[in-house]
Amino acid sequence: MASIDLEKMLVKIKNTQWSLADIDWEAPGAELITEEQWPKLKEFMSDLMWIEHVGARAFAAMAKKAPNDTLREIYNYFHAEEQRHANAEMALMKRWGMLEGDEIPEPNINLRLVIEWLDRYADEMPVYVLGTVVPMLEIALDGALCTFLLETVDDPVCHQAFEKINDDESRHLGVGFTVMEMQGHGKTYIKAAKMLAPLLDPRLLLGIASYFPLLNKMRDNVIAMGLPEEKLYAAMNKFEKIGGRTADGRRNPWFQIIRQHAKFVVNRSNRVYHVPVDAVVRLTGHIPRRALPAVPSWVKELTYRPAA
Amino acid sequence: MSTVSETRKPRRKAAARKTTKAGARSASSSSSRTDAVVARSEVLIIGAGFAGLGSAIRLRQQGIEDIVILERATDVGGTWRDNTYPGAACDIPSNLYSFSFAQNPEWSRSFSGGSEILRYVHHLADHYNLRPLVRFEHNVESMQYDDQRGVWCVKTSKGVFEGRSVVMAQGPLSNASLPNIAGIEDYQGHKIHSAMWDHDYDFEGKRVAVIGTGASGIQIIPELVKKAGFVKVFQRTPGWVLPRPDFETPGWNKALFRRFPASQDAMRKALYLFHESVALGIIWDTPLTALVERIGRLHLRMQVKDRWLRRQLTPDFRIGCKRVLMSSDYYPALQKDNCKLITWPIARLSEKGIRTVEGIEHQFDCIVFATGFDVSHSGTPFPVTGRDGRVLGEEWSGGAQAYKSINVSGYPNLYMTFGPNSGPGHNSALVYMEAQIDYLVRGIQTLRERKLKALDVKPDAQRAFNRDIQRRLAKTNWNSGCKSWYLTEDGFNATMFPGFATQFARQMAAFDLGDYTELPA
Repeated sequence: MASIDLEKMLVKIKNTQWSLADIDWEAPGAELITEEQWPKLKEFMSDLMWIEHVGARAFAAMAKKAPNDTLREIYNYFHAEEQRHANAEMALMKRWGMLEGDEIPEPNINLRLVIEWLDRYADEMPVYVLGTVVPMLEIALDGALCTFLLETVDDPVCHQAFEKINDDESRHLGVGFTVMEMQGHGKTYIKAAKMLAPLLDPRLLLGIASYFPLLNKMRDNVIAMGLPEEKLYAAMNKFEKIGGRTADGRRNPWFQIIRQHAKFVVNRSNRVYHVPVDAVVRLTGHIPRRALPAVPSWVKELTYRPAA
Repeated sequence: MSTVSETRKPRRKAAARKTTKAGARSASSSSSRTDAVVARSEVLIIGAGFAGLGSAIRLRQQGIEDIVILERATDVGGTWRDNTYPGAACDIPSNLYSFSFAQNPEWSRSFSGGSEILRYVHHLADHYNLRPLVRFEHNVESMQYDDQRGVWCVKTSKGVFEGRSVVMAQGPLSNASLPNIAGIEDYQGHKIHSAMWDHDYDFEGKRVAVIGTGASGIQIIPELVKKAGFVKVFQRTPGWVLPRPDFETPGWNKALFRRFPASQDAMRKALYLFHESVALGIIWDTPLTALVERIGRLHLRMQVKDRWLRRQLTPDFRIGCKRVLMSSDYYPALQKDNCKLITWPIARLSEKGIRTVEGIEHQFDCIVFATGFDVSHSGTPFPVTGRDGRVLGEEWSGGAQAYKSINVSGYPNLYMTFGPNSGPGHNSALVYMEAQIDYLVRGIQTLRERKLKALDVKPDAQRAFNRDIQRRLAKTNWNSGCKSWYLTEDGFNATMFPGFATQFARQMAAFDLGDYTELPA
């Protein structure tokens, strides 16, 4: 498949904007959420919303490092679009009576650690690293979590919102895989070494230390919701399939690393990987929230209100 | 406010008698009332702002009295008459933002506000008795050179004016521009452009948006935050902001300048040299650039404690690439409880406000557009037809070019103030303006002394000049990769002068007759 034309993509992005006001959040259908679904759905939506928000912050960091103006502008839009998804998901939670007053749901501890890492280090990371991790997270979201939500929730407003969200996400993925291929273009040893050099950066190691348990935590949440974990793995396999469709894509060393890691995650019998990572998930669950610094102010930008 | 708009009636009668077949081609081509030749003069000046009035003063000082100034508004003042938004002020110290030949010892502050600068312009008009020269409410629609007679026929909304020489002093920042945002017509609330301020609108308790954080935006915001109920500031690209050491001028200082004008000259010289030294940091990428950037970052760090807000306000281009902003109260204003910075891209304007890409409709009573001006890089503000029917806008379609920023080959006896590549980035615009004015006075004097019909710059001289200018521009920060109003869409820099003000003044001090074709009368 040929890579997309980023200039045309930017025009398309600008022409396909939507806002929360385009959806009637008071329309009937909220009552279709069952009593059994409600508590699990609340936790699921909260995580989903925070993952969108984490994606938003990652795009903001990528905009800083973008290799050209077009990509910078695209990432600026994606940053805002991910925030819009988080806002829309919050609006759904409000509609379903899951938020008291102006309450913002709390991120789970693993997400909280990723937020902390993003806030401190993401801007310093080379675009190769986030440019590969983000499509991985997005494909997992797009392919599994959102699909699952639509399969289990009957509320038409939820479907209406996710139709718009999924349209945006497909553009994010299109750009994401194109950029991965751009980064794999050229095969010199020096270039590959340069792309891998950040592995020696302790800041990146910290990022990995928060990313690994996050995926396992997501998996646990998905299972708790009653989703067969194979669906999540199938989505993660899609990353390998699409990312590896061209020689340039396969040549990107970060693609190879993330792909390999995805294989570890998918293979539940790999105890060497899962036992320690699951232990970290449990361990991090004991971190008292007060031990973490105050949330960065970008976290407070979230709102379920269509108008401000 | 002056209403001296029809002070040249005797001349008008005389001129009317001259409306014969020798009239302008444009004049004779139509029978409409506005095509009647109203007046003829040795020099026609378009615009009664700083440059137009300054040109008239200097021309008169050289004995050239036959001058008509065409002004589209009802008063003098140019950009300072139009830009009366709250907080309007100059970024250059008042002692330097004034003519060297008309210094003002009474400046109340180191950086005076717009109203005081406008008072200074009014003082120039009154002190030098310039108002009788001005034809107010005369909007120039087009101008055409009559090769046979060697005169310019300038068509205005109130008739045709003829002049041997024309000074285009309409200013580069004279046309306010609304941004190209989808749905701008849908918005039903109040709209104000910074250059056309609505002084009758009461901001008390209102929800206000300010779009734009350039030079005017950062001056308006602190003032609005004092009055409005809530202000949301929409920023696209953060600029470099340096502290602005604005303070009240003590009484003894004014008295000193009044009694010993040489002390004011010395102060002016010191300010001039300080600004010249800044050029080393902001025009070219030198070790000083890093130092000036460090000052900018330190200023931000000292004034903004929140990490995310600081990130949003940190520029991602080299200092000098875009206009450097000066303010000590902008960052504090943004952090007031009734103010919020919005950096989400704007998706469109809606009936009640601004929809941004994070999906929220921000609703307002009023939107203030601090979005700058329609700076013409390749066109001209009105059609200019030169020798043999050539049209300046067409010749400039690939980027504006002139000789020494002031003359264009094929357009004899036409002088531009702030023509192509005369923009300053680090020093007072008035220093550049004075150099251009003195140059055009010499050109007009030469015409008179040598009894010539016209002086037309040679195409080769113009080409050589522009080759050199573009070669020098390539090494500057303006051409280092950011997008700014200095550049065309294609990245061509037809705006800025790539050097010190001293170099510009030296360039303008030399009037090389060899670069011109002399057309005998």
